[in-house]
Amino acid sequence: MQILKTHSLSIGYTNKTIASDIDIALEAGDIVALIGPNGAGKSTLFKTLSGHLKPIAGTIEINGENAENVTAKERAKMMSIVLTERPDDMFLTVREIVASGRFPYSGMFGKLSENDDEKIKESLEIIGIKHLSNRLFNTLSDGERQKVMIAKSIAQDTPIIFLDEPTAFLDYPSKIELFSILRRLSKEQKKTIIFSSHDLELLLRYTDSLWVMGKQLPFIKGRCSELLKNGKIQEYFNLQDTDNEYLTNRI
Amino acid sequence: MSKNRKIIVILTIILLGIVLFLANLFVGSVKIPFKDILDVLLKANNDNSLNTIILNYRLPQAITALLAGSALAVSGLLMQTLFRNPLADPSMLGISSGASLGVGVVILLTGVITSTSVSSLGWWSTIGVSLAAFVGAVAVLFLILAFSTKTKNMATLIIIGLMIAYIASSVTDILKFFSMKEDIHAFVIWGMGSFSNVGTERLTTLSISVIIGLLASFFLSKNLNVLLLGDTYAENLGLNIKRNNLIIILISGYLTAIVTAYCGPVAFIGLAVPHIARFIFKSSDHRLLLPMTMLIGTDLALFCNVIARIPGFDGNLPVNAVTAFIGAPIVIAVIIKGNKVVK
Repeated sequence: MQILKTHSLSIGYTNKTIASDIDIALEAGDIVALIGPNGAGKSTLFKTLSGHLKPIAGTIEINGENAENVTAKERAKMMSIVLTERPDDMFLTVREIVASGRFPYSGMFGKLSENDDEKIKESLEIIGIKHLSNRLFNTLSDGERQKVMIAKSIAQDTPIIFLDEPTAFLDYPSKIELFSILRRLSKEQKKTIIFSSHDLELLLRYTDSLWVMGKQLPFIKGRCSELLKNGKIQEYFNLQDTDNEYLTNRI
Repeated sequence: MSKNRKIIVILTIILLGIVLFLANLFVGSVKIPFKDILDVLLKANNDNSLNTIILNYRLPQAITALLAGSALAVSGLLMQTLFRNPLADPSMLGISSGASLGVGVVILLTGVITSTSVSSLGWWSTIGVSLAAFVGAVAVLFLILAFSTKTKNMATLIIIGLMIAYIASSVTDILKFFSMKEDIHAFVIWGMGSFSNVGTERLTTLSISVIIGLLASFFLSKNLNVLLLGDTYAENLGLNIKRNNLIIILISGYLTAIVTAYCGPVAFIGLAVPHIARFIFKSSDHRLLLPMTMLIGTDLALFCNVIARIPGFDGNLPVNAVTAFIGAPIVIAVIIKGNKVVK
């Protein structure tokens, strides 16, 4: 069964539609990159799919159920997010942030069960940051913080993970590492991963499936190689012939 | 911080509270030997004047300081976490200004209309002032709550609170302009805050009201913790942001309104104590911070009250003068040291 599906979804704000006729269908273990120039509506699509914004038209189905009928609490167990903005509290530790992923599961006073502790430990291990668990979040590097937020998503135990520009502030090796983490999550944990990015070159190398948005252009989706061959990526990004040749050669 | 050290620190804070509480009974313009104070507390004393001083004057004042300190500290912690702003304090949303306006209306307008100064009305004026402060504070609180259901953006709410405070204080100024000298004096004195206006009769109401607010705040600790990640993360984790904000503002505002009604606008405790608690425990976990701000708030208020009553400052120094004088250096020290710890 498809874990996330939309029918002629329109997104935007009350008096401004940003994109319409979005039809997507994702299964467990799918990994897809959302690309498009700034202002094309990537964040709006993320916010709509993750339930922070209401669709203007059309429907979203999570695990076969209309998203309108999914409560906030159920949704918190279905989809997690990793944002570019990071918590900036002075005394939050890595473990506390990862533990917050258990929020939807813990009781009224937030006391963690043995199962919660186990999940937190597991998440730290999967991402390889167990050694950081007692560190203050604020003292970590950008790459490490990114990993902590991903570990939080894993602790949240959701089949779907959204990542908003996860490569944005990372140096090159960290970007490569991030892609390998995402791949591992989709393969081993069967997570459905949707992320946005501007690193076109890296995406073409490390991902198969793309969603493309453009200003005043319809939402399209497909495999990287197809979208390059039929000239769609070039069109959406206004690429010149030289870039075009370069990118095609990369594949 | 290791578990053992944490326990030692917590016990020290509690012990300090007890010592300061006793000091509040001991220090004052009338010298009373410590043994006599214990006798009075254990009901083993028959000296009526001593009984009066301690049981009717110093004890209620110490209990008031204790309650007000913890209530304001918790209220400040809630505001700082809600707005994720270290400068937030209970007066942030204009609630104390609302209280001031309420009191201003009663003190100053009564004078204008009836041509008698309120302060000459004795006991009735104390009740009237408290009631007016409470009504003013709650009116602003409801206004803020109404706005908070319209916006998720906390910056908007801060600005609205600030503007309401300006309006309230400008109306208060207009009232002052037309008022009698004695009344303005009474109003200024009220504005300096005091823990000594709560007699034995009204202490029960204050205690119950404050304790209800403090207990309610414990139910927020889980949500407050997740708020530290930012609104979007909190919402994704299933938190209903608008409802949660509403409840936080309600509890924080309620605590401020109660304390302001009984003690006047007491500054700085609400701002300083959460910083002290975070710094001592190097933690942002509200399951620890909430009870600790209560205890440290109690300690600080009792301490300030002792200072205000040291013989030589005959009578009472205004509490606000002392809280700011002691609170401000503490906040500076904590922030500078805190930066070092993290860097």
